[in-house]
Amino acid sequence: MPFVQKPHSALLIVGHGSTENPDSSTPYFDHAGEIRRRNVFAEVHCCFWKEEPSMREALYMIDSEEVYVVPDFISEGYFTQDVIPRELQLTGPTSRVRGKTLHYCLPVGVHASMTGLILRRAKEVAPNVNPAETTLIITGHGTGLNQNSAKAIRDQVNLIAASGTGYAAVLDAYMEERPLIADWDQMAPTPNVIVVPFFISDGLHSYQDIPVLLGIESEVGSAASQREAFRQNPHHHRGKTLFYTSSIGTERLLADVILDQISDFDKANKPL
Amino acid sequence: MSLANALRLLLQSGSRRLGELEFKSIDLNDRFIICHWKDTACAAQEEFGGLEMYVDPSAARDLSTYAEDGSYRFIKGQVNLKRGWVMVLESAEDLRMALDLFYPAAIGLVVAWRNGTLEVENLRDKLQRQTGMYRIARTIRDDVSQRVVREVCGPSNQCAKRILWQIEANTPLDDSEASRYLGIPEDLQENEAVPLLCREACNHFVAECCRAVKTGGV
Repeated sequence: MPFVQKPHSALLIVGHGSTENPDSSTPYFDHAGEIRRRNVFAEVHCCFWKEEPSMREALYMIDSEEVYVVPDFISEGYFTQDVIPRELQLTGPTSRVRGKTLHYCLPVGVHASMTGLILRRAKEVAPNVNPAETTLIITGHGTGLNQNSAKAIRDQVNLIAASGTGYAAVLDAYMEERPLIADWDQMAPTPNVIVVPFFISDGLHSYQDIPVLLGIESEVGSAASQREAFRQNPHHHRGKTLFYTSSIGTERLLADVILDQISDFDKANKPL
Repeated sequence: MSLANALRLLLQSGSRRLGELEFKSIDLNDRFIICHWKDTACAAQEEFGGLEMYVDPSAARDLSTYAEDGSYRFIKGQVNLKRGWVMVLESAEDLRMALDLFYPAAIGLVVAWRNGTLEVENLRDKLQRQTGMYRIARTIRDDVSQRVVREVCGPSNQCAKRILWQIEANTPLDDSEASRYLGIPEDLQENEAVPLLCREACNHFVAECCRAVKTGGV
């Protein structure tokens, strides 16, 4: 269903950001740029928990009275349910804050249309593999940092497995809980394996930690903009052919998922 | 009034400096340029004196992410913006968008401040909202937080922002170069510069509070 344009409203994308990793906020700006290019909002802005503008500063840069707020996060959890509502001074799905009407949408990671992005990313990194000889693994933190990220990943695995895309196996695996991504070669029944990190930004986990767990990097290196792990596909390792992609949030068309969450908000909260 | 129009009024009143940026209108067709203030003379030459030219306001993000020495500028008020470029923009809205990437929300904060509608956030309120590894900052003593201001804030510590906040409502900042700084460079009149405003302590300051607590500042 095409997105209903909102020429008098603003979109505010909320991200985490980082005081150490300059690549952390890049995806959010890319998503904003893609939506801005489509001219469906009067204005599009980003704000962050750990970069500028902060959530408390963001409203000062918005002209529009009506603002759609979309958390650019991969799951529900402490940030989307506590931090963001507190920082933006939200009182419910729709709030009046500093003379503006804010509509608070669900985070991008829990939308069913993330499935299409994951499949697109998998196809991009391994265009010539036979899906019947390939295992698709979606990987993330696991417990300890964000229990809901595991649920979001399992939901996507179930959606992809049910979608009939032809992969021999679609699995979830984690850095810190079983099934462990470090055991990727043992869990995959096929000669080809595609691993997609379920994060918004590339950073320590996707540049360093996961490549080390996969065995395609031998040691942890420096953090800034290390894209080599994604450039050398395929990796012939542990008797299999491994394809490793950058984080799903670096897909520019995650912009469509942002718009989908806004459409769903309107359907649920602003009946015609 | 839109922020783009507010920006036009600022320009008409003589404003040309924001942080380390020099910005101005270059013709009557709503075109503007931005450059590092130290490159102003170069930008006035033919072909902008060879400065690398950008026309897309989104380029401001890349221009402001790294300093000249390659370090990450995670705090936008840092006085280490790189030189050697000029932005040529086709509208006041593009100018506003670029300025918001260099100095997020700076124009909107000044407009609200001058209108009397800016909400300032004192340090204790900010620290009480910190989570995870930053939660420890909540326990910092007042005198230690005052020391952090002296050691972290203000132009001599590489930050160009004017502090508006206090430790808490009844605890103003101690007198220091940082607390005295009004956001106007010494060589400019008040109307010539738009001050960068610090309405709440930044993430760097919060991190420094954590460090101070860990070294005995509770």
